[in-house]
Amino acid sequence: MTESSTAATQDAPAPIIAISNVWKYFGSLPALQDVSLDVASGERVVIIGPSGSGKSTLLRSINRLEEIDQGSIVVKGQNIMSPDNDINLVRQNLGMVFQQFNLFPHKTVLENLTLAPIKLRKLSREEAESRALGLLKKVGISDKANVYPAMLSGGQQQRVAIARALAMQPDIMLFDEPTSALDPEMVGEVLDVMVKLAEEGMTMVCVTHEMGFARTVADRLIFMDQGQIVEQGRPETLFTTPRHPRLRQFLNQIL
Amino acid sequence: MHDKKDGSKGNIIMVTEGASIPDPREWRLINAWSIALVGAVSTLFALCLLWPEPYLRILLYLPDGVLITFKITVLSICCAVPLGLLTGLGRISNNRLINLVASTYVEVIRGIPLLVQIFYIYYALSRFVQVSGVTSAVVAISFCYGAYMGEVFRAGITAISKGQSEAARSLGFNGFQTMRYVVLPQAMRTILPPVGNECIAMLKDTSLVSIMAVPDIMQRARSFVGTTYLYFETYTVVALIYLVITLILSKTVSIMEARLNYYDGK
Repeated sequence: MTESSTAATQDAPAPIIAISNVWKYFGSLPALQDVSLDVASGERVVIIGPSGSGKSTLLRSINRLEEIDQGSIVVKGQNIMSPDNDINLVRQNLGMVFQQFNLFPHKTVLENLTLAPIKLRKLSREEAESRALGLLKKVGISDKANVYPAMLSGGQQQRVAIARALAMQPDIMLFDEPTSALDPEMVGEVLDVMVKLAEEGMTMVCVTHEMGFARTVADRLIFMDQGQIVEQGRPETLFTTPRHPRLRQFLNQIL
Repeated sequence: MHDKKDGSKGNIIMVTEGASIPDPREWRLINAWSIALVGAVSTLFALCLLWPEPYLRILLYLPDGVLITFKITVLSICCAVPLGLLTGLGRISNNRLINLVASTYVEVIRGIPLLVQIFYIYYALSRFVQVSGVTSAVVAISFCYGAYMGEVFRAGITAISKGQSEAARSLGFNGFQTMRYVVLPQAMRTILPPVGNECIAMLKDTSLVSIMAVPDIMQRARSFVGTTYLYFETYTVVALIYLVITLILSKTVSIMEARLNYYDGK
């Protein structure tokens, strides 16, 4: 009995993100209710759900942009709520992409990518810039390195934002509705970059409304409603044979 | 193209006193600023040419005062701007004690006239240490304007969208680095015009120190009047000199503002 359980824990590698029994309140309103979720290294997890279901709150809790009220979140073995762990160091390993891009408007595209590596990773300017140019090439906007973000389209800005997060060489990427603020014709170019990233084996947690993306990229699809994980599993299973009535209703509304 | 909410121009900040800063995009030759400057300078020249006695004599008597006025203004700016920044940061601090100290400071200082503060600090300080009129003037003006500028800094910093600091924090910057590299450089743009305005208002308010026998422009004028009784002529020249100085300063602020708008994409 004991032997088999230890063997099991040795077989399964420790999750890179371990979310256990997390509660989060906004005032008296529970935004997260007893949410538990493990993400394995290299896994692509996509979270879907109606607005107000707590999916963004859950994602933002992982790098402590939201402080949870109960439960624990452990990232790469470090409890992010523990005062012993420097949250700023944990965050360097957690790339985050926002709905509103949030590029630094007073810095050029190149400077957006090099600021954190130079100041935090103590890279030399040359090293940071060559790495940044490589990333810009990867996201397909190397010709815009020296312009300011205001000169770029929304899709270009979001691709720069992804490159900026990658410049810190994080182990995990968090995406908070990365295509929701984009004009429809620009959604594709951003998703292409994310698919490429997924193919390279990046651990990704992504909140999105792009069901096509979820279907092709996700190893695991999570459906949240009213602050709870209602159903999870392989995307094809969830899309074709949803068990929970709320997921069925949600899919009917959006597909 | 998305019109980003962050870095928007500071229409949140209200300015109630001080010279008006010319619009940096106003490049036409004839505008309020150039009319005022040309008018003031040419009036000054005309007066001195047409009636060298007494106008030229008055004009030559005042430069020592201009230097003192500048000295007080520059020293006060050097103290008030950092004080204002600290106050502004204190006002948005989550630390209750710091917040309370900063808020109380602003509340108290804003409720007392500058003239009273100048008197008060001059006589209060002289109970403990012998201070010159210039020193107490600089202390009083810095304290007063530090509080005003604290409000400007606070408004400028809170006008930067939360997404900016979230983006910086998510990269791993700590709170100080986020302020230093991301928020303040952007806030500078909204803060600069009203801070420049406060500096100009400060220059004008230095005229209050003349009552402590500090020989600034105003005090020099008063002593000149005391012997010659040329009230009208003297104060005409004084007014024109103040006007020329503030006009030049407001244009300087305007030029700096234009240079800070480099990343607008326009």
